[in-house]
Amino acid sequence: MDGDSSTTDASQLGITGEYMASSHYVLQPQEDDGDENLNDHEDGSSKENYREQDIYLPIANVARIMKNAVPQTGKIAKDAKECVQECVSEFISFITSEASERCHQEKRKTINGEDILFAMSTLGFDMYVDPLKLYLQKFREAMKGEKGMAGVTVGEGLSEDLSEDSFTNPLPAGIITADGQQQNVMVYTTSYQQPPAPFPGGAISNDTALQLKGRGFNPTLLFSRQLQR
Amino acid sequence: MSQNSSGKDDQASGSKKPISLPISRVRLIMKSSPDVSSINQDALFLTTKATELFVQHLALSSFNNGSGKETNTLSYSDLANTAQETETFHFLTDILPKKILAQDYLNSLEQMQEEEGADY
Repeated sequence: MDGDSSTTDASQLGITGEYMASSHYVLQPQEDDGDENLNDHEDGSSKENYREQDIYLPIANVARIMKNAVPQTGKIAKDAKECVQECVSEFISFITSEASERCHQEKRKTINGEDILFAMSTLGFDMYVDPLKLYLQKFREAMKGEKGMAGVTVGEGLSEDLSEDSFTNPLPAGIITADGQQQNVMVYTTSYQQPPAPFPGGAISNDTALQLKGRGFNPTLLFSRQLQR
Repeated sequence: MSQNSSGKDDQASGSKKPISLPISRVRLIMKSSPDVSSINQDALFLTTKATELFVQHLALSSFNNGSGKETNTLSYSDLANTAQETETFHFLTDILPKKILAQDYLNSLEQMQEEEGADY
């Protein structure tokens, strides 16, 4: 409340709204004050509990972008930050519904990058289109580069969409085997266990070797004693 | 070094992080539009990036356009004025109504009531 309603009459009439349009009157009900807390803490899983217009981007992020845009010494009023936060949600919905419409017209179900870019130039944001294409290119190159490295995620939001392929490369199992003589064969594997192919010499799996050891038999010693005799 | 919420790698774009807005939240807002079934990853990235550009655009236009030059502060009324005057931001006029003093509201309310009374 920044005290714009400077007359006492306002309180007598119970007017709590601050922002009033010239053509129609917009009175902010008290409940809206709670929305500020909801905006930043909503968990997204119970979307049905929130009205569509309550979903906003975090104000800290929005404020930071604004701060970087205006001249260094400039300041931003608190209600301006909140207002831009709402404008942002409006902008996203605006672009999305336009893109979605085009998508439906072409009988497609998934909104792709082209739809978004087209929507932007239709709605008067064509000055964004060229920089966005550049950014998309850079982003794609970054994604390719990072996918090459095993298991590196790109970002918390994006990793939800990435397939799990990059994470399931099994580490190669190190197998040490003998070549079929009458010797014990110890098979060493990592945790990604791959069952070793059976060898004529009789490969003993890790489990078996452990079992033998557990019973007091050390296969190596057993054979060497036999040789000594 | 400040970490942004999407946590992108520095090596992706050199010195600056590509995105400073949470992509998952953007997707949530997009999905709240009617008839939206699924969204391609490119589309999501483009929308997030465009939103960033939009914030910069709106903030700077409003700052330069309005009283910011004297007071060096971006205020709500700067935004409301820019929305009305700039064609590109016309879609914001519904959510950016201009402020009027309560006294003016009361005066116009009286006027409206008088007009209604005259109709009967």
